[in-house]
Amino acid sequence: MVESDHPQDDPFFIDFPERIGRLQAAMAEGGVDVYLGSRLRTLSWTLDAFCPWRSFIVVPPHGLPTALTFVIDAARVADDSWLDEDHVLGYGPMGGQDQVSLLKDLLEPHLSGGKGVVGIETGMGTYLPEGHLTHLEYQYLAAALPDARFSNAHDIVDRLSLVADEGTVNRFREASRIVDMGHQAVYRAIQDGGYEGMTETEIAGLAAYAMRKEGSEWEWSFTGGNEIASGYRTGLAAGACTPASRRALRRGEPLMVDLHAMFKLGLGDHAHNYLLGEATQRQRWHAQNFVDTVQLCLENYRAGVTPSSLADAVLDFCEEQGFAEYMVPGFEHGIGMMGDEWRIGLNEGPFPYWTDPEHEYQAGELLICAMQYACPEEEIGFRYENPILITGSGCKTLSEFPLSVDEV
Amino acid sequence: MAERFRYLSAEWAQEAGRRLQADLTPEKMKHLTSSMLTVYTDCPDGLERAVYYRVVEGVVEEVSLHERELPEAEFTITAGYDTFARISRAELKARAALMSGKMTLRGNLVKALRLAPVVDRLNEVLSTIPTEY
Repeated sequence: MVESDHPQDDPFFIDFPERIGRLQAAMAEGGVDVYLGSRLRTLSWTLDAFCPWRSFIVVPPHGLPTALTFVIDAARVADDSWLDEDHVLGYGPMGGQDQVSLLKDLLEPHLSGGKGVVGIETGMGTYLPEGHLTHLEYQYLAAALPDARFSNAHDIVDRLSLVADEGTVNRFREASRIVDMGHQAVYRAIQDGGYEGMTETEIAGLAAYAMRKEGSEWEWSFTGGNEIASGYRTGLAAGACTPASRRALRRGEPLMVDLHAMFKLGLGDHAHNYLLGEATQRQRWHAQNFVDTVQLCLENYRAGVTPSSLADAVLDFCEEQGFAEYMVPGFEHGIGMMGDEWRIGLNEGPFPYWTDPEHEYQAGELLICAMQYACPEEEIGFRYENPILITGSGCKTLSEFPLSVDEV
Repeated sequence: MAERFRYLSAEWAQEAGRRLQADLTPEKMKHLTSSMLTVYTDCPDGLERAVYYRVVEGVVEEVSLHERELPEAEFTITAGYDTFARISRAELKARAALMSGKMTLRGNLVKALRLAPVVDRLNEVLSTIPTEY
């Protein structure tokens, strides 16, 4: 796909003013006078710019929102965003220019007589860069706006961003194409014994270089960028997080390559697996179990299924085949524009801020099919990750690198 | 002995305008178009005063004093009279006053930082006015 000079013809075009309009309509419906977004996912979804520093967006009931970020990055964020420099402000440690003073100035005009409802984003999460309003930020804001009522309103953005629009899907598709190029580069490098003398960090780096050449902005995952595991690290018990280490790749061992690329805040995330050198029959048995399970899982995704029903189907199969103890029992995680990486669906489950196991997938939802097979006692494991788009009759995998465990 | 001007008096403002126009070329002012209001709280007589600067294409077109209704400006800098006086006497840097919270700035910080050298040039000219505080 090629970017177009005419925004409407650009496959990656997202109508951000329309998004803001829907957000404002939902605010009015929910009795929120002004919305204060602080989560990374909200900033990406509203600004179309990556905000690595503590940032906020103030959405008034009408008109353009104003973002606030650390002053050293404000001009760059304004340059990347659809908002102009008068709507992307910098904060810094100066009188009147600290976060709280500026937020007060931005929020107060929308609170009649200082009274009204400020929608905030608070909660808890497993994802460290989530960006919920901190307790101290809340205390300072409450002191600065003593007559305002602060109400947790992140559900508004969560609901509006649940189903991905075409531009978002296309960005994910392009990020996935880039990840596939990273996988091809890794395969070329390690085939025919090329892995000899290489380390996990080297694999992560050569994949990163290949993906950057294709236009990836960074290896976005907070889990250490590209996750690479070899040998016993592939099979850590119940594990699914392996920042690359300095461990050397060895003949006779498994290798897991989990690559991440970002394209216009759309996220590529695909894991592929190898057996280095000639594999044993037992290793091949494990590999086949894994591939069969992933295949089955992908065949089961469609609108109307739930994480719970999907887990039942997949785990029943693993039990029947005699390897249930090796499957980590969770097969997906949420995904959206940069910063939206954990919970599936809305915050409606039995455990606050975790995926609702009874969430019914809708057509147009994006998620990461994420499966981990781990057999610690045999020092072997495999991981599958791939962004998938739920459709009425199934799902579409966005990364097209073939599903297999390759012997190299 | 050179004439001395009482700080924030009409004569001082007039002299400030004259010197700024004479000493600052549009090139030195980077052909800037902007406006700035400096608000002096806790003046010796207990009042609050403000000086309004209007710059068009790098030319200081207006330096005016205000006491009650303050005009709108792109940047508003507020501090106590003593803080401004110390800055004018070069006893305190404006940046230090801002960073310590003695002075507050309202306006786009990114733009303000870009304009800081221009404002320094303006303050430098103001500091040459023989002034009684």
